[in-house]
Amino acid sequence: MHHEMKKVTVIVTEMMTMLMLNGAKEIDIKIKRTDIGTEFTFTHYDCHYDEDFIDRLEYNLNTQRQYEVEGYYWQLAGEDESGDELHLVGAMIDEAEIEKDEENLHIHLIRRTI
Amino acid sequence: MRRQIVNEKDIGRVFKIDILFAVPIFFLIMSIGYGIYSKDLMSMFTGLYDIVSSPTILITDFLKVGGVSSSLLNVALVGFLNVYIMNKYKLRINGVLIAGFFTVIGFSFFGKNIYNILPIYLGGYLYTRYQKIHFKDIIIVLMFATALAPLISEISFSGILGPVADIFLAILGGVFIGFVIVPLSSHMIKFHDGYNLYNIGFTAGIIGTVLTSILRTFGVVVEPVYVVSESNHLIIIIMAFIILGALMALGLYINKRAILDYRKILKYKGRLITDFTHLVGYGVTFVNMSILGLISITYVLLVGGVVNGPVLAGIFTVVGFGAFGKHVRNVFPITLGVITVALLFGFELSSTGVIISILFSTTLAPIAGTYGPVVGFFAGMLHMFLVQNVGIIHGGINLYNNGFAGGLVAGVLIPIIDAFEKE
Repeated sequence: MHHEMKKVTVIVTEMMTMLMLNGAKEIDIKIKRTDIGTEFTFTHYDCHYDEDFIDRLEYNLNTQRQYEVEGYYWQLAGEDESGDELHLVGAMIDEAEIEKDEENLHIHLIRRTI
Repeated sequence: MRRQIVNEKDIGRVFKIDILFAVPIFFLIMSIGYGIYSKDLMSMFTGLYDIVSSPTILITDFLKVGGVSSSLLNVALVGFLNVYIMNKYKLRINGVLIAGFFTVIGFSFFGKNIYNILPIYLGGYLYTRYQKIHFKDIIIVLMFATALAPLISEISFSGILGPVADIFLAILGGVFIGFVIVPLSSHMIKFHDGYNLYNIGFTAGIIGTVLTSILRTFGVVVEPVYVVSESNHLIIIIMAFIILGALMALGLYINKRAILDYRKILKYKGRLITDFTHLVGYGVTFVNMSILGLISITYVLLVGGVVNGPVLAGIFTVVGFGAFGKHVRNVFPITLGVITVALLFGFELSSTGVIISILFSTTLAPIAGTYGPVVGFFAGMLHMFLVQNVGIIHGGINLYNNGFAGGLVAGVLIPIIDAFEKE
């Protein structure tokens, strides 16, 4: 896909921005590229998100893949300093799962190859 | 189990496309109805010919060129084409698509016709074949890219090489625009960081400047014109109120609490991309579109303006972007800035030029949404200074002149604001 590497990078940047704006001091990121696409796993340790925030995060990331939005606007992801572009990240991925255990937030994203 | 974020009736994709389909049907019925009422049905077709064969550069009002029923027929035809494409490629009816559709509908009163938009779509199609990507991925860009449609009309009827060669050259030019607009628009967006909602307007302004310069070198005179209807048509005003009323009713049908939930939309900054259909649902989005449209048309009538082609383009564009970034709170400071400059410099508030500057200045709504009303007010003032002067650069072939000016304002203003902001 056109600019695939760059698109993967801006997704990471946007997610990182969001986590750091929410006070993250320790984050793990794992990116795994396979034939079916790219998987991202973000873990924010020792976080204090409320249920409302997590619900909205999951909702915005599960907006469904929108190729037409991605094709036009993908360069905006990761450019803002407010972390508001999660809806755009949602348009660039196929699946998002959010889990919160004791004090850690786990975000798992899948971006499939067309 | 997660909490439901948006509570409203699930209307499904088919119903959403039917809503958009209803718009050109309405225009077609009114076109025929008005033709019968005025006892001159044939003029509907001769007027359409006049519209298609006019240069259409800024500012060419189709209500003046072809009359009421022909303009409505043109709007209907352009609307049908776009709904057909959306349906064929099963596009998701989201905020940006609604914005694109209403923008195209509005500009079919003023600049876009069933002839001059087609080569741009063809160019886009060829681009997708060349890049081996899906045509559906770039339809939104192409819808907005028809901002440069006047270039096709201008060359077609320029008389440089003779009718056949001119039309061939014009189609070639349109195909070229459709081919290059996707990478260009995606690249240009970084200049203003998404603070100018009419991004294609900025891109089209740059392309238009380049192409106009080439044409001028070959001796073709490309200058803005002023062919504008100076009197109101009651039927047009009634139609606009019917559409806006229908949007309100639809919003309340989908979400009975849409008025109460309206405040939710006001907290969004509006920067690209802010898709209200996803964030607050279709009910509140339609209500927002209706409110913005009703305020716009009421303002035009209150200052004694004429609801002509360009003004309708402005109103429908504001309505469309009511699904994609604009709401009352972030457009108000911008328009106030434009009105203030108009008053300070003695511009007539009822003139079409000033009215469309006010309506289209809302492209900068994200600035007010992000940095507050004071910065928004100054952005509006700056916009008014620029928009008066940038049209001459591209000679009027870019219909989204305010998008061009807005891009320049945002691109200059945002780094300056950052310079004054402290960590």
